[in-house]
Amino acid sequence: MNERNERIHGVACTFRQPADVFRAAEQVRDAGWTKWDVHTPFPIHGMDQAMGLPRSPVPRLTLLGGVTGFVTGCLLTWYTNAFDYPLVVGGKPFWSVIFPFPVLYECTILFAAFGTFFGQFIFNRLPRHHHPLFDLPQFARVSDDTFMIVLEASDPRFHVDESRNFLQSLGGSEITIVRD
Amino acid sequence: MSATPSPLSVHWRKFLFAGLAALAVVWFFAAQSAGHDDHRGPLALVVGALFWVSTLIGLLMLTMITRVFDAGWAPVIRRTWELVLPALPIVLLLSIVPMALIPKFRHLLWEWTNADHILPSGHTVAADPILTAKSWFLNETFFLARIAYYVVFFSALIWALRRPSFAQDTDRTASHTHRLHAISAAGIPVAAVSLTMLAFDCLMALSYHWFSTMYGVWFFALSIRLALAFTVIATYRLSQGGWLDGILNQAHRHVLGCLMLAFTVFWAYISFSQYFLIYTANIPEETYWYNIREFDPLTGSKNQWWGVSMYLVFGFFLLPFLTLLFYRTKIVAGRLLAVASLIFVGGLVDLWFNTVPRQITAAGTPEGFVVSPFLTPYLAVDVLAVLGFGAIVVALLLRASGRHETIPVHDPRILESINYHE
Repeated sequence: MNERNERIHGVACTFRQPADVFRAAEQVRDAGWTKWDVHTPFPIHGMDQAMGLPRSPVPRLTLLGGVTGFVTGCLLTWYTNAFDYPLVVGGKPFWSVIFPFPVLYECTILFAAFGTFFGQFIFNRLPRHHHPLFDLPQFARVSDDTFMIVLEASDPRFHVDESRNFLQSLGGSEITIVRD
Repeated sequence: MSATPSPLSVHWRKFLFAGLAALAVVWFFAAQSAGHDDHRGPLALVVGALFWVSTLIGLLMLTMITRVFDAGWAPVIRRTWELVLPALPIVLLLSIVPMALIPKFRHLLWEWTNADHILPSGHTVAADPILTAKSWFLNETFFLARIAYYVVFFSALIWALRRPSFAQDTDRTASHTHRLHAISAAGIPVAAVSLTMLAFDCLMALSYHWFSTMYGVWFFALSIRLALAFTVIATYRLSQGGWLDGILNQAHRHVLGCLMLAFTVFWAYISFSQYFLIYTANIPEETYWYNIREFDPLTGSKNQWWGVSMYLVFGFFLLPFLTLLFYRTKIVAGRLLAVASLIFVGGLVDLWFNTVPRQITAAGTPEGFVVSPFLTPYLAVDVLAVLGFGAIVVALLLRASGRHETIPVHDPRILESINYHE
């Protein structure tokens, strides 16, 4: 990364039609870019595949949270009812998987929800109070009638002039350098 | 008449004859068994019929639920449901209705209809205070009236759901969709009460001392699971040279897989809650139902039904649940088919678990009764009954597919359904 790029977030361009941005996204994907993004006013079906995005890793943290919750629930009910203060309730065993099941189940759900909620925060890199794209005047139109592709400087393929030419070849207009 | 009948449609007669032949054999064994005052033979017809009644009631509920929620993915698949639904009253007419009408079968299966039947306590049914208290509901006249009601009500509801849908194929009017929306909204609560009563009468009343207020919800959960498994298996076959060839896509499989996961959890939630509440309350009138499904009354050790219940926990809940968590299970046709088959088998095991164990009065034993075992040659008759009714259901589906459009070509959401995307 050259010294000039250090203050550069990336290069952005806009499109007017969903079909244009869709085709452009496929070409950026096929060129091997990994650090880049598409901004659209509404979800475009098939954009995930057009961008070559993998499945979200969040479900793995959900599963991890769920398993952690189940084990926590087991330990909690076992420690309190069978170990620390053994208590006979209704002639039932001190600990079995049946009577505390609501607790195990609720702990599973709670921790799985934590895994999901904080997982998406982690993978979305939230909280984040500002983003360099917010400085672009045309970025506001991305929530209205404009589509945008941003090639980011952190991608190994990034070079300011070549990236601008690449976006031009894709048919993008309003090609702008985004500064950090 | 469909413009291009599916090549599969012409096979309906083969399935019908195979189904009728299988049922003739099942009825023969049932009559033999009834001749020896054994309820197990007639029970095979209950198991086989209820397997398909449950599946078809699930399809009926899914038909109405997708109508009410305007599900965009549903129309291409829902037409197959609409084609198969009339099998529901026919399965009832071939099984539950004649068994309720023939006194010998009725007395063997529904013991409370036989006043002379000796209970494990040594009393007759006529002298049973528990039955006396319930007799406003459990009396033969009302019972037969309810059985007739199920046939009439479900036939009428299915007719009301099919007619506007098929009319739309020719007159291309969107108002049919609005009308079906209203019929479904009104039909869901009435069908929910009816399927609850059907579960009470056909399954819970087989051990009439026992009661569970959530039994109808359990039956609904089982029905939807079986219906989704049937849908996955049927649509897979129909996408290989049938009328869904080139139409069924990955997103349709994904949505069916997600629903299968949801209802696997729901079934486990309801089944476990029923067990859990009875376990915690510990009232003998309720716990005996689970006790005979775990312990041998002669020895106090675990009986065969304990293994069956463990299969339900691990094979019917945990394995489908864990496999369906994975995205690829829901989109790869072969994997989804495998899970659907597992659920189909599990549904039969769940029906066995709910219908077969009962207290057989045996004077001189410590508890006054023995429990009907799981492993008997009648399991083969049960399977034959499931296959026989299944062949009739498939025959009726194929026959209908040659007489109506096999996808709702003028449904307002047909393009959304065909191009359905995750």
